[in-house]
Amino acid sequence: MFDAMHTPDNVLIVGGSSEIGLEIAKALARRGSTKFVLAGRSFETMQRAANEISSASPAGATSVSVVYCDVLAENAVVDLLSAASAELPTIDMTIFAIGDLGDQSQLESDLKAAQQILETNFSRLAPAIQGIANVMKSQGFGHIVVLSSVAGVRVRRSNYFYGSAKAGLDGFAMALNDALIDEGVNVTVVRPGFVRTKMTAHLPAAPLSTTAQAVAKATLEATDKQKASVYVPKAIGVVVNLYRLLPRNIARRVPF
Amino acid sequence: MNSESSSIAGKIPMQTISGWGRTQRVRSKVINVTSTLDSNHISPVLANSDGDHVISRGLGRSYGDAAQIAGGTVIILNDDINGSAIGADGALRVSGGTSLDAIMKKYVPQGYFVPVTPGTRYVTVGGAIAADIHGKNHHVSGSFANHLHNLKLIAPQDSFDLSPTENPEIFWATVGGMGLTGVIANATVRMLPIETSYISMETRRAKDLDELLAIMAGSDDDFRYSVAWIDCLSKGAAMGRGVLTRGDHTSLDALPKNKRTDPLKFKPNSRLVAPDWFPPHLLNPLSVRAFNEVWFRKAPRLRQGEVVPLSTFFHPLDGVQGWNKIYGRYGFLQYQFVIPDGEEETLRKIMGKISNANVASFLAVLKRFGESNSGLLSFPKRGWTLALDIPIGSSTLSSLLDELDKDVLEANGRLYLAKESRASRETIRAMYPRLKEFAEIKARLDPKGIIVSDLSRRLCLT
Repeated sequence: MFDAMHTPDNVLIVGGSSEIGLEIAKALARRGSTKFVLAGRSFETMQRAANEISSASPAGATSVSVVYCDVLAENAVVDLLSAASAELPTIDMTIFAIGDLGDQSQLESDLKAAQQILETNFSRLAPAIQGIANVMKSQGFGHIVVLSSVAGVRVRRSNYFYGSAKAGLDGFAMALNDALIDEGVNVTVVRPGFVRTKMTAHLPAAPLSTTAQAVAKATLEATDKQKASVYVPKAIGVVVNLYRLLPRNIARRVPF
Repeated sequence: MNSESSSIAGKIPMQTISGWGRTQRVRSKVINVTSTLDSNHISPVLANSDGDHVISRGLGRSYGDAAQIAGGTVIILNDDINGSAIGADGALRVSGGTSLDAIMKKYVPQGYFVPVTPGTRYVTVGGAIAADIHGKNHHVSGSFANHLHNLKLIAPQDSFDLSPTENPEIFWATVGGMGLTGVIANATVRMLPIETSYISMETRRAKDLDELLAIMAGSDDDFRYSVAWIDCLSKGAAMGRGVLTRGDHTSLDALPKNKRTDPLKFKPNSRLVAPDWFPPHLLNPLSVRAFNEVWFRKAPRLRQGEVVPLSTFFHPLDGVQGWNKIYGRYGFLQYQFVIPDGEEETLRKIMGKISNANVASFLAVLKRFGESNSGLLSFPKRGWTLALDIPIGSSTLSSLLDELDKDVLEANGRLYLAKESRASRETIRAMYPRLKEFAEIKARLDPKGIIVSDLSRRLCLT
């Protein structure tokens, strides 16, 4: 259940090894969320995350369980739903924090890898989000958070596999918000700029870069107000939306 | 299994509902049950719930999530005064869905007032029992349940006639039991005979908390009704300044001549309607501070012998329909606690924290409670109760209230479940030590766990 401040009791993090997912979970634990399920591929990373979440809880009254989930696996959606329902009395909030940047130049030649990037970031993820949405619809409440990216606002030459997958995910999640608005279920799309995490450690930091903690803070401010979307930092929303309006022949020459 | 009722339940559309604070909005199936003095319309809903959780709801005035069950079925008994009957002794038998508004409109002109009324007439008898509500007369008259002759409870597997002498265990679990023992189909309430529909009122201004507490402790017992409004934003020497209003029913002899032609007239003001949309931060520390200043200044230092209609004294906010919307789309919560006599220092400490945190509480009410009753989850007990309306929005609100919870708990006080929307399970469990007894009785009455509310799920009350 949610409390009056919109803090959930029970939280599912899909992408249980994600640094952003972990920061959101820690912030929720500090605010009083009591039960977490981390769903992901690396038990080792998730176990470390689970310990961090538990120690973030002021009362120490938090329980965290970890379940295996590989969105690329055949029965991923069904398995995820049954694991979440078994662990949590109600799925109050679900954070979809899965993302794989890929190496654009490699993806252009390795088409199998390219397909996987599209699946991980979008096509396998969307049915999982829909599955959770259906559970929330029948339980009469819930909040879904989808980690999108500014890369999806206008897809760029430099990472068009990742960008187009995020564009698809973003469009899907925004329309899901419209579909669920009268069903008691909220969807919040979070669009960070460059976040300094392990996913981006090998890249030079872009301007207006941010941190996982800042994304977590902005995410909860947005979910508290049941906003449909939020840019992190706010300024990058202005930048990418101006960029989106640039004529194509000029945009092509912008060096990022 | 009655397949007909089952198919009816299957067709019930989902509706969005929330408590009065409009914070936790959820979707539920809502079934309106024709209010009857017997149970034949209620039992099938409980029996055919197909694993659905069910909770009954009155007029939705509890602030948090007590009268809702997301994804489940909400039973609303309709507000019908027609089947009611009053005996010569003033014992009124009504269905559980009947509002105090309907009761007053019918019975005040006949010379009877409800024994206990909260700050609104728009609560049902069932809700009044389930929350064991209190009013401005708690210090002398106790809570609603103290004035019950008996009631009929429809539990999932059986129905029961309850009173302090008949099935007393179930009676005291149902009183204050937040609807979790079953549906209150009807009740017999001992009404208060009145000669007029007016209150003789005294208004008195107190310059700070000490003065306010001293006046209330000193002379509240001379008045049937007493309540104080507190300015929560006043700081320093003026912290806790307030306006105390006290009174009693006006006797016929004391009624001014111009009102004697119709001494039991009951015509509450026609209702203004609050528009649907208010900006979220209309009530902020600045606007509330300005309001409080005006409200305090306009109150007389001492005015006695004023004669006002019942609704002016008891239900000023009922004049504006949907006033809860002025808090905007994020809604608001009410923080209400009681702490025992002798814990005035704690009260002062809490007031200090509230005033330092700049909480824009537009309605802050302090009152003295008298003795508690035997209700297992009944809120009132002897001491001081403070209720604050607080808009949602400040990022520090949650931790402030958690801190106040600790102060209240340490002082051996507790929070009011009908207002509750955010405390932790551990806090509530510590505040209500008889919760275990309650849960045992509840499990006997409802072994399949059909009756559940969002409040009971959130706080693990059962």
